[in-house]
Amino acid sequence: MASPRFRRRASLSVLLTGIAVVILVVSGGVVSGIRTAAGLVVEPFSWSINAVARPIGHVLAGAINYSDVVHQNQELRAELGRARLQSEQTEALRRQVGELTSITNVPFVGTLPMVTAPISNASPTNFVSTIDIARGRSDGVLPGMPVVANGGLIGRVVSSTLHGATVALITDPVSLIGCTFGDGSSNVVITGQGVDAPLHATQVSLTAALSPGTIFSTDGLNGGLYPAGIPVARTVSTSITPGSTTYEVSLTPTADLRHIYYVDVLIWEPGT
Amino acid sequence: MNRSVISLGLTSIIFVALQLDIVSPLRVGGVVIMVIWLWPVAVGLTATRLEALFSGAFTGLLFDAHAATPLGLTGAIGVILGLIASRLGQEGIGDLDSAAWWVMPSLAAGAGFSAPLFFALGGTLYGNLHFWRANLGVMMVVNAVAFFVLVRPLARLARRVSSNALSSLR
Repeated sequence: MASPRFRRRASLSVLLTGIAVVILVVSGGVVSGIRTAAGLVVEPFSWSINAVARPIGHVLAGAINYSDVVHQNQELRAELGRARLQSEQTEALRRQVGELTSITNVPFVGTLPMVTAPISNASPTNFVSTIDIARGRSDGVLPGMPVVANGGLIGRVVSSTLHGATVALITDPVSLIGCTFGDGSSNVVITGQGVDAPLHATQVSLTAALSPGTIFSTDGLNGGLYPAGIPVARTVSTSITPGSTTYEVSLTPTADLRHIYYVDVLIWEPGT
Repeated sequence: MNRSVISLGLTSIIFVALQLDIVSPLRVGGVVIMVIWLWPVAVGLTATRLEALFSGAFTGLLFDAHAATPLGLTGAIGVILGLIASRLGQEGIGDLDSAAWWVMPSLAAGAGFSAPLFFALGGTLYGNLHFWRANLGVMMVVNAVAFFVLVRPLARLARRVSSNALSSLR
């Protein structure tokens, strides 16, 4: 005859095992399940800390930076007006490019559906450049999907749980992006070098027309990780080493990675 | 037993939440101060080996679940730090009450200095060579300074939370 204590422990074990199995099945995998479960454990504490700390931080920041905030607001309104005007002017061009790229069977960003997601966390560690977003598999966000914000590509979804996802930024050292520039005849690979470091471009031939300000966009080549036409980086400076056949190029992301609050996930998977 | 284990576990969860929501966004010189590695060091210097290992593994695993680094690596570093700190704690080195005031902070600074290095080494075993980055030295120095400053208050908290925490399991 089992003791009441044993029965209690057995019932608790069965219950916990059941919960674990449900989490694993719903979240789709062991690692994803562990991430989901850990998120559920920490979430109430995170919420409480934020509820206390954020208002205090906002009061202090607001008191110190009020005039700056007003000035920024005015600048943003002006910028929004210009962006609206430009958007309307480029709509016709966008349609034409979309038609052309569909004829050549190259995916184009302007025709792809998007999911808008707020940023829930920046990278919590020193070793990877990532952000967490508050949209996951339940919203159609899957690993491999490109993410854009603030006027350019910011990265790619590397993992997703039911209601969240992690995006590796283009500044992450593991990031490799096939790009083109100018008339589109040259293809280069842009890699990240860490959070505050400039981007690096490989093998830009001296025959290519390249000057400060030149924009690099995704090339959308077959089998590539990104659809064509997403602005990635802007040339800051170029230099030539004597005897070399390629440029030394310093690039900066077109998107302002320091001030991202919302992102758009392109519902597009590599190979589609 | 249950109450003390729960208090150590809850404090560890709170540290992970503090790390994610408060400490990680406040980068010093572009570097994140890893309070979740300081916690097992503080527990190890003031409590028992089992408590230090539990704190290191639990906080590390919870943190790993929120980062895009290899799952379990932060926890493994936490366990190593907790193990070393608990050995020193058992020898009475860096005791909160009897040792000179600077001994415990110096030990913690050593832990803060070496932890990013351990992490990069561990990452290499996982095949992540890009963890060896230009600012690894800055990470080591900033964490050493932060650990030096923060360890004594955390050790006092660890002593309160962990008293008898896991002793009944032994």
